[in-house]
Amino acid sequence: MASASAAPDRKSREAYFTASQGELIWARFRRNRAAMVAGAVLAFMVLVGLFAPFLSPYDPTINGRNRDYMNGAPQIPRFCDHNGCSARPFLYTLERTRSIQTNFRWVTTVNMEKRRYVQFFVQGWEYRLLSLDFEIPGTELRVNIPGIPFTTHLFGVDQGSIHLFGTDSAGKDIFSRTLHAIWTSLAVGTIGVLIGFVLALVIGGISGYRGGWIDSALQMATDAVRTIPAIPLFMALAAFMPAEWSPERRFFFIATILGLISWPTLARRVRTHLLTERNQEYVLAAQLCGASGGHVVRRHLLPSFTSYIIVDLVISFPYMVLSETALSFIGLGLKDPVNSLGVMLQNVTSADVLLNYQWYFIPVIFFVVLVLAFVFVGDGLRDAADPYSDHR
Amino acid sequence: MILFLRFAVMRAAMALITLLTVSFIVFSLMALVPANCAERYLAYKTTQGEQITIADIRAEERRLGLDKPYVERWVRWVGNVFMEGDFGESCILRVRVSQLVGDKFLLSLGICAAALIFAYAIALPVGIFSATASSPVLNNVLRLVSYLGLALPNFLLALMIMLFSTIVFGDSMTGLFSREMRDAPWSWDKAMDFLSRAWLPVFILGWSATAFAMQSVRALVSDEYGKLYVMAARARGVHGAALLWRYPARHALGPIINSLGFDLNRVFNQLPIVAVILVLTESGALLLEALARSNDQQLAGAIIFLLTGSIVALNFLTDILLALADPRVRRSVMGG
Repeated sequence: MASASAAPDRKSREAYFTASQGELIWARFRRNRAAMVAGAVLAFMVLVGLFAPFLSPYDPTINGRNRDYMNGAPQIPRFCDHNGCSARPFLYTLERTRSIQTNFRWVTTVNMEKRRYVQFFVQGWEYRLLSLDFEIPGTELRVNIPGIPFTTHLFGVDQGSIHLFGTDSAGKDIFSRTLHAIWTSLAVGTIGVLIGFVLALVIGGISGYRGGWIDSALQMATDAVRTIPAIPLFMALAAFMPAEWSPERRFFFIATILGLISWPTLARRVRTHLLTERNQEYVLAAQLCGASGGHVVRRHLLPSFTSYIIVDLVISFPYMVLSETALSFIGLGLKDPVNSLGVMLQNVTSADVLLNYQWYFIPVIFFVVLVLAFVFVGDGLRDAADPYSDHR
Repeated sequence: MILFLRFAVMRAAMALITLLTVSFIVFSLMALVPANCAERYLAYKTTQGEQITIADIRAEERRLGLDKPYVERWVRWVGNVFMEGDFGESCILRVRVSQLVGDKFLLSLGICAAALIFAYAIALPVGIFSATASSPVLNNVLRLVSYLGLALPNFLLALMIMLFSTIVFGDSMTGLFSREMRDAPWSWDKAMDFLSRAWLPVFILGWSATAFAMQSVRALVSDEYGKLYVMAARARGVHGAALLWRYPARHALGPIINSLGFDLNRVFNQLPIVAVILVLTESGALLLEALARSNDQQLAGAIIFLLTGSIVALNFLTDILLALADPRVRRSVMGG
């Protein structure tokens, strides 16, 4: 009995000792249930964002507006009603009439007897998967990968329209806009994080590697930048943008600003790591073995804190998304043809929306879920990357 | 005592250097805005039907001192700010910035301070209590709340509360004063009216600071709670609240005092947006107005500088406070 249980135990111990750092982190991460769930949600969100055009029945821009259904309430597909059930979800037919009885105003009524069945894999507006199109402000660098055109969408209806989350004041489908907004938020965050990351690595690296007065001066500057409240500073920077810039340019500029302001925290982290690590004995040992400076940095110093840096990047992601949303919300960030959560929330403070069109707020749920997922994954990664978390 | 004074002076000097760096950053931002003050003002004048020539612009630039080199302008700006508290003139409104900002800034500073106090008034007891009550449910709830502090940022919370109160009460609860009281002179009634409405912005502004503070207080106290000296105290028969207050809670106070500056930063961060949503007429909204609508660089720079200045001042104060409150820090400062 004892030997039977000892054998797999030894095997698992052996696996433990020979596992690479990545395997160990993954094993620890997998044990954290909240982080795993959050990771699944996050992966789902990324996929939804990537295939947003396929999943959304309507074009999220003004081209896809529904003139007959502005400020329309969400239409929830149903399976059952008083006429019986159906395996295929259906919607009721909306009929718009205008006559002397309605005082010549358009009035929408729901006809519960006429069902409209939801169709799958329907042909709709044209979109391009895997396309990339942006320009960098200042220079004439323009990247344009056309991608592959498609017209198939996951679902739709034959007659009339289907608006799962309702429509806004221009008649644009909020469901389609939300899906596209997820992608925008992720893209802005990614670019911002990358720019901030490069800056932090360079500044923190110089600061930690050189030490001395360069370090002191850089630290002072870093501290000063850190004390300025970020969003007011964003606002000041975003005000530089000329109003006539194209949406792609604005998008890139906003992402750049986010990156430009987010570096201090990470730079400090990099510097501290470098300062402590470069005096470690394994570095001395490597140097005594005749390793060159570049070799020491590449093979020994960098691997010693890549996991921390990845974790930091994941943790700083929600701040990016948050700042972009705040900026767009007050009208200094992204503008209309681009969909982001902030853009979608721009006009919700009016009494009309608060009282009558509460479905404008549906995207907030997605935003909160997205940020929460990032926070949980970040926390899980941090615990997993810490080799001592098991021993506490 | 002399050592302490030296420490205080050192800290003050460092705060001053930080302020100077900040002022340089802010001033550079102001200078980088396309089109300078003179051009902007005169562009505004042309819309009023006046004929403006290049010579007029140059004359206006000379009047504002914009023809001087960059560094000289910065030195003058900083000099005026530090010596006379003068931020110059607003670009568009042609009124002294200090006159525009004055009261409003104090009002928003008051609201932010109230939000901070509120945050800690909730976070300290709840955090300490939850650290000692080792119930997993409470733990998870707290964790979720602190995560929501990030995921449901203040301005979204404000929106949600507005939505909720409009549906339930039929009033969106915005503004700092009720309609009758807005222009009335200060009186007892007005003060009461103000207080009955100010709690909401205070709560909303303090919200994410509360969520974060709660988590950090809990972590600090529960870290201390498991240490040997607490066990030793317990072995001596100290228990309950006496044990908690005498050792771990005090111990955790240091890092909390230290983080006050960052919490103020967090509150300021959301101030302009929350102010817009809740229709608060104070400097956050003024900043947004200055940036988004009129692009008034002098005004915007002054407000950002003032916000950062109060954070630096608070950091300085907490450093001094920490040296007074914490014997370990005092020792390292006094060297004995």
